[in-house]
Amino acid sequence: MAAVLAAGLSGCGDAGAETQNAAQPDAAQTEATENDAQQEQTDEASKADSAGVSGEKVSVVLATNWGEGDAKYDYFYPLFEQFQEEHKDTLDITLQTYSTEDYKTKIKTQTASGDLPDVFTYWGGGMMKDMVDAGLLLNVDDYFAVSSKVSKEQFEDGAFEYYVSGDGNAYGIPLESTRGIFIANKALFEQYGLEYPKTYEDLVEVSEVFKANDIIPLAIGSNGGTPSEFFFSELYNQYEGAADEIKALAAGGSFHTENAVKVAEVIVDMIDQGMLPADTMANGGWTGSLQLYTDQKAAMTYTYPWNFEFISDEMQENSEIIPIPQLPGSTVDPSTMISGFTVYGFVINKQSFEDPAKQDAVLALCDFLASDELTQELTKSGMIPCKKVEVNVEEQKPIMRKTIEYAKDKALVQVHYTTMPSADAITMMDSSLDELFIKAITPEEFAQKVQAVLDKNNGS
Amino acid sequence: MSSKRKETLLAVGFLSPVFILYTIFLFVPLVNTGFYSLTKWNGVTERVFIGIRNYQELFQNSDYWITFRNTIKLVVVTLLIQIPVGLLLAYLLYLKTKGAKLFRTILFLPVVIAPVAISLMFSLFYNSEIGVFNKILETIGLGRFQTNWLSNTRTLLYAVMAPQVWQYIGLYVTIFLGALQSVPEELVESAEIDGAGKVRTFFFVVLPQIANFTNICVILCVTGSLKAFEHSWIMTGGGPGVRSAYLGVYMYKTAFVNSDFGTGSAVTMTIVALSLVITGLLNGIGRFRERE
Repeated sequence: MAAVLAAGLSGCGDAGAETQNAAQPDAAQTEATENDAQQEQTDEASKADSAGVSGEKVSVVLATNWGEGDAKYDYFYPLFEQFQEEHKDTLDITLQTYSTEDYKTKIKTQTASGDLPDVFTYWGGGMMKDMVDAGLLLNVDDYFAVSSKVSKEQFEDGAFEYYVSGDGNAYGIPLESTRGIFIANKALFEQYGLEYPKTYEDLVEVSEVFKANDIIPLAIGSNGGTPSEFFFSELYNQYEGAADEIKALAAGGSFHTENAVKVAEVIVDMIDQGMLPADTMANGGWTGSLQLYTDQKAAMTYTYPWNFEFISDEMQENSEIIPIPQLPGSTVDPSTMISGFTVYGFVINKQSFEDPAKQDAVLALCDFLASDELTQELTKSGMIPCKKVEVNVEEQKPIMRKTIEYAKDKALVQVHYTTMPSADAITMMDSSLDELFIKAITPEEFAQKVQAVLDKNNGS
Repeated sequence: MSSKRKETLLAVGFLSPVFILYTIFLFVPLVNTGFYSLTKWNGVTERVFIGIRNYQELFQNSDYWITFRNTIKLVVVTLLIQIPVGLLLAYLLYLKTKGAKLFRTILFLPVVIAPVAISLMFSLFYNSEIGVFNKILETIGLGRFQTNWLSNTRTLLYAVMAPQVWQYIGLYVTIFLGALQSVPEELVESAEIDGAGKVRTFFFVVLPQIANFTNICVILCVTGSLKAFEHSWIMTGGGPGVRSAYLGVYMYKTAFVNSDFGTGSAVTMTIVALSLVITGLLNGIGRFRERE
């Protein structure tokens, strides 16, 4: 039975948007479907066009971090090969893949040397700001104006916000939305006769039992700010006015707030209570933290769908998604919200798109990346699509099905990562969280360090 | 053509390939980096000339001085461990230890392994939840020394230094072994006939004979430490904060992670300056000792 994945997840809606976007397919989709017949007729023509005026093959470069080892590789690569085969007479596509951190460096280096790929997956917000300011990226409206296969309306409301720059234009096509989930090992809770913690006091109590049995209560470390950064934001959203404060960061808002210090203090208390792994550096990072949980050395963890691929089916069945316990002094009920935001997409090299000899080739590549077929396939890796597509929920991983069910009635909240105005502020938040987790700095110093970068960038 | 002119042409002919390669791949980038260090540049937009402001900000930045101190500590630790241990092991091999070839291979093996692999291996060893390091300490009765190696501010930097120090000892063993084998045997034998024991022969006969090799090892050791990057980057990303970062890591983070190529270039220039000062100092000491 086919169900609409977006019905449960509301795609990439912005912070605070209610997850009630179940009326699928909408008018835009219907229109897009009607267009499909016409598009098929023009496919052959566009293939011929993409060969360029001279009839020679056009070379295009596609770069992504979905290389081998990435959760999406197994789903992306077969379709990419198929696309390549279909266009072998007209396109000469070079696929460049790197692991995420190397990929960021590669793009920055290529940006500096004026050698950007024609189309590449990339992050929005502060990460793409410099490229937008330098006029290197295409306003996606220009792409939609030319594409006969993909339209802006085919995407979820608010999906483009992450890629909207200061000038009000969007410079990226969102592909992936995400949800942060707090999961608990059902079997371990049953084994020790424990209830899932609803409040911080409950969390302290269950932690004592787990610690007494050599089980780490929460597998959350901090190495390079993961997963601590998103966990920090998730906790932050429980406090009054926090959601607005996170939103305001993009427009010059302050990071050094009372709430930021409060949340940092809670984290220090978690460390003092022995809730987190003792070695938060060695057990930090997405995989490091998750490993403790999947090895059943930890009872709970906080993770995101891009890690679902690394959780065994058995462990997925054994995991229960629960609200993060309510923190002392917080006012927002954590069981009513879930962090959810656009996290990834692709951008188009403006110069390549405006090159008449290349435009059709770039267009074909973009149409492929934004196609329903690829989007649907990528959902199998745990990706929540920003595009409104029909996805068979039965084909999804058990943990994904649970996430869909859990997220149904939750309000979406944002995280600092998406609203931080610059890459160096994100880096400082990440490295300062690493320091906070080993108690090398105080909560106050943590907030001050991040604020200092924002102040420097604002020239104050 | 006069023979002097011929000699000059020959010298120019032999030197020019190296000169061209060095100019293209070393001097030009160095001059460019020097220029970038005087600009505000995010790698994307136009460079704006700001004079020495990057240097002023850098020298007021506590993170820079932390990484500077870490780098100097690494230089000292490698000099105190790699050179003496390398020399000692080489001397033991030189004394025709049984299985010397096997030991030489084993000692050199880490040198040819990628630092990335070594760093990942040590990260797992150190992990206090799943790593073997703490377990070994407990097994051998040193349980009181167990700690969270990468999450303890007192052990973090040294835990990151350890794999680098260990990995390259084999390189110095190989250099020193070659040096020891070049010492005339008659010299050693006559010292022993004169009644000098193994220790005295080593310190007063062998060591002065290999002084030039020692200087080379010291310079390799120092320059290797000044450009240290991989172990710190792979194990901790230079963090938490910059607590386990060296100048190379700090430069990389500044330029390529934070997109501040101007300041990143300024860090690079300080590394170059530091390298030149230390190398000049060591060469000076070497020349002074030769004169003595």
